[in-house]
Amino acid sequence: MSISGMRRAGTTLAVLGLLGLVGVYWLSFFWVPTEATQGIAQRIFYVHVPAAWTAFLAFGLSALTSGMYLWLRDERLDRAALAAAEGGMVFATIMLMTGPLWGKIAWGTFWTWEPRLTLTLLLWFIFLGYFMVRSSTENPEKGKRFAAVVAIVGALDIPFIHLSVLWFRSLHPQPVVVKPEGPTLPGDMLTLLLTSLAVFTVLFFGLFLLRYALEGLRAGLDERTRRVSALST
Amino acid sequence: MMIPMTTRPYALLQLVAVTLLVLATSEPAWAQEMPGLPSSGLAQQSLRPYWHVFIAYAIAIVLVLGWVVSISRRLKDVEERLKE
Repeated sequence: MSISGMRRAGTTLAVLGLLGLVGVYWLSFFWVPTEATQGIAQRIFYVHVPAAWTAFLAFGLSALTSGMYLWLRDERLDRAALAAAEGGMVFATIMLMTGPLWGKIAWGTFWTWEPRLTLTLLLWFIFLGYFMVRSSTENPEKGKRFAAVVAIVGALDIPFIHLSVLWFRSLHPQPVVVKPEGPTLPGDMLTLLLTSLAVFTVLFFGLFLLRYALEGLRAGLDERTRRVSALST
Repeated sequence: MMIPMTTRPYALLQLVAVTLLVLATSEPAWAQEMPGLPSSGLAQQSLRPYWHVFIAYAIAIVLVLGWVVSISRRLKDVEERLKE
């Protein structure tokens, strides 16, 4: 796909995602029933869980493309890893900021150093390191390779985050959708959650394509600058 | 309605004064509630989760739109440099 085609597709998906997000907010306030024990605060779940899913998807995609970059040394894979990591940071920040707002109502505290929260914060810091490593080396190629390793190491944390609530004594609620016996969420709530998951995913892929197109344009600009400087010398 | 520049500090002072008044009067209102009753402070407690939901939803929108704006600015910048 050409860069202009990618921009068109990205813009379309991003606009659809943003409209979908408005729809999810409307459904959350005016359609879905209020949960009996947690009350209105449970509605944070329709933003927090999809943000978590999207962050893990983005970081997983970043790790996958980073691994392929280390193998094939194709610059496009590194650009995809960078675009996905940036999206992952945005959605992980949403997850880390909305979770404590629910926690304050449900647990009486914004933060507790329980396994899932701690491992998620660790993931956020690992990917913060991804960006720092990229820009900290004199040789950009070396920075890309180091960052690729950081992305792979970071993604190894994701299964532990999911399983931590099952392995350890945890304050964080158990999974209600991804579990062996199937989802245990009531119908309307499950419908809205799945809708929100789809909306966040579409939004991420739209913005990911735009971010990837930006890196493509930057690569073209760098190439042109190199050629001009080579001609002038 | 636009506020003239000379009266803007006074308008700000009025806003601060009203805010302080509201904060100051809310404390005695709490104190007047009977502490032994289960309904004590219920009105304020029941509004708090709404604020948390609104803030959570606002955070999601602000961060996503922030990323959109950031990408579009960078795209515009690179395009301008490519046109040079």
